[in-house]
Amino acid sequence: MYRYDEFDAQFVRERAEQFRGQVARRLAGELTEDEFKPLRLMNGLYLQLHAYMLRIAIPYGTLSSRQLRKLGYIARKYDRGYGHFTTRQNLQLHWSQLPDVPDMLLELAEVEMHCLQTSGNCVRNITADHFAAAGSDEIEDPRILSEVLRQWSTLHPEFSFLPRKFKIAVSGSAADRAAIMVHDIGIQIVRNDEGEIGYRVYTGGGLGRTPFIGHEVGRFVAKTDILAFIEAIMRVYNESGRRDNIHKARIKILVHQIGPEEMRKRVEREFAEIKASGTLQLPEAELERITAYFAPPAFEELPDTSPELEQAKNAHPAFANWLRTNVDAHKVPGYAIATISLKAIGETPGDCSSEQMEALADLMDEFGQPEIRVTHEQNLVLPHMRKRDLYSLWQKLDALGLSTANHGLATDIISCPGLDYCDLANARSINIAKEIARRFADLERQHDLGELKIKISGCINACGHHHVGHIGILGVDRKGVENYQILLGGSGAEDASLGEILGPGFDSEGIADAVENVVSTYTKLRHGGERLLDTYRRVGAAPFKERLYAR
Amino acid sequence: MMPQVLTANRLSVGEVVYWNAARGWVAHMHDADILPDDKAEAVLKDVGARGVQERQVVNPYLFDVRVDGSTVVPVKTREAIRAAGPSARRDLGKQAD
Amino acid sequence: MPADRAFVAVADNEPLPEGPAIVSLARFQKERDLLLARGEKLGLRLEASESPELIGADVHKIDLIVLNVPYFRDGRAYSWARLLRTRLHYKGEIRVTGHVLRDQVAFFTRVGVDSFELPRPTTESDLEAARSEISQVYQPSVDGRETIWDLRAHRRKSTTS
Repeated sequence: MYRYDEFDAQFVRERAEQFRGQVARRLAGELTEDEFKPLRLMNGLYLQLHAYMLRIAIPYGTLSSRQLRKLGYIARKYDRGYGHFTTRQNLQLHWSQLPDVPDMLLELAEVEMHCLQTSGNCVRNITADHFAAAGSDEIEDPRILSEVLRQWSTLHPEFSFLPRKFKIAVSGSAADRAAIMVHDIGIQIVRNDEGEIGYRVYTGGGLGRTPFIGHEVGRFVAKTDILAFIEAIMRVYNESGRRDNIHKARIKILVHQIGPEEMRKRVEREFAEIKASGTLQLPEAELERITAYFAPPAFEELPDTSPELEQAKNAHPAFANWLRTNVDAHKVPGYAIATISLKAIGETPGDCSSEQMEALADLMDEFGQPEIRVTHEQNLVLPHMRKRDLYSLWQKLDALGLSTANHGLATDIISCPGLDYCDLANARSINIAKEIARRFADLERQHDLGELKIKISGCINACGHHHVGHIGILGVDRKGVENYQILLGGSGAEDASLGEILGPGFDSEGIADAVENVVSTYTKLRHGGERLLDTYRRVGAAPFKERLYAR
Repeated sequence: MMPQVLTANRLSVGEVVYWNAARGWVAHMHDADILPDDKAEAVLKDVGARGVQERQVVNPYLFDVRVDGSTVVPVKTREAIRAAGPSARRDLGKQAD
Repeated sequence: MPADRAFVAVADNEPLPEGPAIVSLARFQKERDLLLARGEKLGLRLEASESPELIGADVHKIDLIVLNVPYFRDGRAYSWARLLRTRLHYKGEIRVTGHVLRDQVAFFTRVGVDSFELPRPTTESDLEAARSEISQVYQPSVDGRETIWDLRAHRRKSTTS
């Protein structure tokens, strides 16, 4: 993974010290809240319901054990002993105090981390496929480009005051595990007919109040051109994006209003200008330097079948269940990708205690794991586990409450923090997630239902990605009472689609029943091995509406 | 119109606080002054502004409450959660004090 | 470029002053010949929605371009300054006015802005401090400053030589 050199290290230290000065000026009254707010947002510090919330950047979701351990330590020392992994692969601490934040930033700087640009109208954390460097379908590690873009977009003088926030995601394979189609810019690594690697670029995707699937603006952008191409999109957006209405300010609105064809034209024109002036190319040597950090670890030569694994699988049904869902094939024989579920039944999705973080860091060291990944579905991934170590890992995860065998199943629910924590929320989401998880806890039932992505947001901002849930749930405020709308048919994968609202919402008591009714409608109508998503796409909303509303 | 309570967050620690004329900014809603709706705006303009000016608090505002005998209940769920703490973690926030 | 403070800004319906004047784009487009024939330096003020491309070929006849920032969140002026310096090869003074935070001065400086009218009175030394607040930068910009990428390349050269 990327390691800071002294330039990166000095950069984040300087930012931490700069923020220390800004906090001091604020507390001394030299800055009003209006003047301070944009400055604290540039360091990811929000004021939420109960306290300040600090959003820590985890570039493309990758952490070393040292970094994970430090996060656990910071959560314990400065917060309430836990953190929340988000749908943008970041970590949120919900109980921060303003005078502590400069120290927290310094602690983070010590392990090559920061909170820069996790808020504000700038380029946010660039997310990437959490199976990077391990998935067998990968064309190229998407984190190389992500790191290039991360550096380029950090404190970019022209693009730090965009009309609105800007989210970029990168996928390294045909399968989309990074939800690139619903990002402001989505980049897919592809090969052309000559076998060269390049980038397919989409823009104008996004969730929130008005969701859109992204449009292709670049069919095949060469590696030497990609920075200039991205800059072109950003410039068109910065110049022409709406600034009159905060709800109409994302690039997706611009693309929708002028049309994808016009957008493509404007981007091409700007791109041609940038290329003509020849200024924006990443130096070849710099690209090589960054690429070298993402060289795969030294893999042992192992047989693909592990006798230890097979034996444990046969002897321990609970472990066998975990293997079924939480372990994916690795491109190297004898290795496997392990998903650590942060969705224990009855627990807050995506939350992780300091003890768990520190224990996981120890496990990483014990099993020689150089990296752990945060996924946009709020789980963790150990991408390079040896098959022979899986049983031992599972036992230890089990002792930590981290062995829930539900990856991709109904109880692997994505949920924003919602009204329990968030200043923007209209309804609670965590309690709904917990209740639904309780209803579907039976593992055999979950396996019968197959892949079922349930995503819950506590407000229209859609941080829970409800638009791309097979079942999406949107919490709203209906005359002062929490109310939940159901959407069906969304997908954030390469078959991207936006969920459709089924009908009137349900209250807190009724929503879990409604979800059960949706699921039972699916089981009655399904053909073969269809997922709920597939059945919905085949039969449409009518049977579901009838089940839920006809009376 | 309903009786109101004046609330804000402490500038430094971000904690939720409520206004009590005798005691200042207090931690618990049950210690807050209940402001009759015709007085509330004036208190917000005066006390709220002063609290911001003196760098005690940020973002002061009023919210509606229902008075049920001796119990004060916020009309909005959001304020009930601010007063108690996250319902998802009963061991955290003011509810655990 | 040091700020030329002799310019006087005039509204569209006001008579022009004796010396250098700053007029709106609309006024320039209406009274172009008159303004250019005055024999005085000419300043043009652009609103946030007005791209410098609207000035057209006359851009090189303008001595000062003032970019108005209506609210600090409106980041169009950064692109306009950059556009002026790069595609339009503008060599005159670029000034930023309006609701500009001190903490934005460094960004504006990087994209080619020379001078500032800040809402709060600011000393020259304070402004200088604000300009140079980011000691190292990652990405190239109009200012041609060495980037961290350049510094790395230099270091590689010197260690291999």
